[in-house]
Amino acid sequence: MNIAIDDKVTSAEKTLLAQLAGREKALADSMLREYGLPSRKVEAYHYTDLKALLGQVPPLAGPDLPDSIQRTGMAGPDFAGSLKITIANGMVASLPEPAGGVSASEVSGSALGERKDVLVAMNRALVDRGLDIKISGKTGQILHLDWQLQGDAVHVATSVGLELEEGARAVVVETINGSDQAHLANLGSRARLGAGAELTHVIIDVSSKKVTRLHTVEYEIGRDAQLHNLMVNSGAGLSRTQVFSRFAGEGANGDFSGLNLVGNDQHCDITLDTAHGVANTTSTQKFKAVVRDRARAVFQGMIRVEPVAQKTDARMMVQGLMLSEEAQVLNKPELEIFADDVQCGHGSTCGELDRDSLFYLMSRGIRREEASAMLIRAFVEEVLDSVSDEQLHGELSAIVQAWLREGGDGVPAGKDAGK
Amino acid sequence: MSTPMLEIRNLRVQVEEKEILKGVDLVVPRGEVHAIMGRNGSGKSTLSYAIAGRDGYEITDGDVLLDGVSITEMSPDERAAAGLFLAFQYPIEIPGVATMTFLKAAMNAQRKARGEEELTTPQFMKEVRSASENLSVNREILKRSLNVGFSGGEKKRAEVLQMALLQPKMCVMDETDSGLDIDALKVVSEGVNKMRDGGRSMLVITHYQRLLEYIVPDRVHVFSDGRIVKSGGKELALELESKGYSSFDKVAGSVADGAAA
Ligand SMILES: Nc1ncnc2c1ncn2[C@@H]1O[C@H](COP(=O)(O)OP(=O)(O)OP(=O)(O)O)[C@@H](O)[C@H]1O
Ligand SMILES: [Mg+2]
Repeated sequence: MNIAIDDKVTSAEKTLLAQLAGREKALADSMLREYGLPSRKVEAYHYTDLKALLGQVPPLAGPDLPDSIQRTGMAGPDFAGSLKITIANGMVASLPEPAGGVSASEVSGSALGERKDVLVAMNRALVDRGLDIKISGKTGQILHLDWQLQGDAVHVATSVGLELEEGARAVVVETINGSDQAHLANLGSRARLGAGAELTHVIIDVSSKKVTRLHTVEYEIGRDAQLHNLMVNSGAGLSRTQVFSRFAGEGANGDFSGLNLVGNDQHCDITLDTAHGVANTTSTQKFKAVVRDRARAVFQGMIRVEPVAQKTDARMMVQGLMLSEEAQVLNKPELEIFADDVQCGHGSTCGELDRDSLFYLMSRGIRREEASAMLIRAFVEEVLDSVSDEQLHGELSAIVQAWLREGGDGVPAGKDAGK
Repeated sequence: MSTPMLEIRNLRVQVEEKEILKGVDLVVPRGEVHAIMGRNGSGKSTLSYAIAGRDGYEITDGDVLLDGVSITEMSPDERAAAGLFLAFQYPIEIPGVATMTFLKAAMNAQRKARGEEELTTPQFMKEVRSASENLSVNREILKRSLNVGFSGGEKKRAEVLQMALLQPKMCVMDETDSGLDIDALKVVSEGVNKMRDGGRSMLVITHYQRLLEYIVPDRVHVFSDGRIVKSGGKELALELESKGYSSFDKVAGSVADGAAA
């Protein structure tokens, strides 16, 4: 990777370098010095130029929470009956006793593996203590990791490592929420699925629109293991979620899906890198974005099939719905296939609300806003459909509903509609 | 003389900058059923869409009055709330929108617009049950997404079911008979006839005289090249059946020639 460095060091870069000073892991420091934050010249960040987009970097979160923070009454989503671990500004409020096959502890350092990516490098340099969760057996209970960004704006780096033992089954939901401040969150989530394990991993960002969330997710999927991933973003003004998955055992299967619901000036990037490294594995990717105002939704999906990975079946589908003229949906599906006996396909579509459908609904007396909302819900339901847990499905529908309400009459009228 | 239910005055409509309706004049008095017949592409559906307020149907001249009030500036939902209903020639399939959810939303939206109480779920279910029995609509299809996977005939029945539930004062039915089998035609016609209560008016667009044996119209209008070229009693439909449209084209042609001269 030879990138001509922009000679101008941004103020965000300066602050980050200062925050990294004295940290053990030197990679972040040298990457920042050498390349700076990734700009559009770095292919993986083509649509998300962090050098240009990342403004002020707030101070690092201290070891203690400010007194002003009430640990109770933090904003939802909430899952009744779940095993909930709240982590506020990187601090674990309290760890549950090991029970029901779930054992959580704090370990030193980040769970993310080394990678030549500045977000990962910074996460590894800045995370002092990360969560480590081991799951054995089949848990019926939702494990809820409640990441809170609280108080005045802070830069928080956190990580969680999930280890599913052979045959284990779990539903893990990570939610990101907090105070209405310009926090910078660098989150790392890593999950390793042992043979025959099944993980449903949902990440929900409903944080303030002032927040910047940089999130790296790593999966390693073992033999005959099943991963169901779902990412729903309606929060954060700027977010970059990058998912690196490795299919490491034959018979492994991964479904990746996501929903970006954005408006105003939000910029929301989901970038997937899926590597099929052994024979007989399958993956599906289904991503949708609904974009209003001047917001941007980015999806980049890379499917790599290594020479040994015969009989790979990989499908990618990306759909964008634009509700305003300035809304942008940027999709880049990519296939890199080095095996010959594979089934791979991708499709991407992008459009506005269907005018005929809108007219049909309105001709029955349904107001434009409601008709639009019905069509938007129908569009996103295809992604939420895959969630079989009723409580989780209900929470996700509520997020969609809240997003629709937030837009209010922001659902635009057609150019010459209903004069 | 009382206000007509629907009055169309010299209506000219362009679609994509092409003039399709070229001065339609039509009066449907309260309680009457009028039929429109005309060959393919003469502009019948365009008329129905223009009345319902579809996007892109630009009215360049004339007016449409519903119960004495001009509706051309109203959005489609406002027209529906004012009592207009269009049974589509080609009902739209909407995947992901449950039919029952849609029916309830439509009924409640109209009630709300008229300042009435919303229906409770049991009330709503009861109304749907009785209307679908009347029209022998298979209630299995109501469990699906709106119009998705409905057969051609089922779609048409579903349109009439919506009409029965919404109780409009002006019904425009665009080829509701095409696609219906002989038995269904009878059932649907009976359903429509039940809605003829002396106050409600209907405009029935059809290609077939057969329908007009079941739903007997007060007046029949022949549509040609974007306008009405002849009007008469129900026997006009029979005349059309035997002579075809070509004899009327001459009338239309002479009008058009006259306009061009
Ligand atoms: N979007 C459009 N752009 C251009 N021309 C159109 C458009 N929609 C309709 N037309 C034309 O307008 C004319 C009238 O169409 P319309 O659908 O109203 O006919 P119709 O009388 O309902 O015919 P049918 O009996 O086949 O249903 C046709 O020539 C059609 O091609
Ligand atoms: Mg037609």
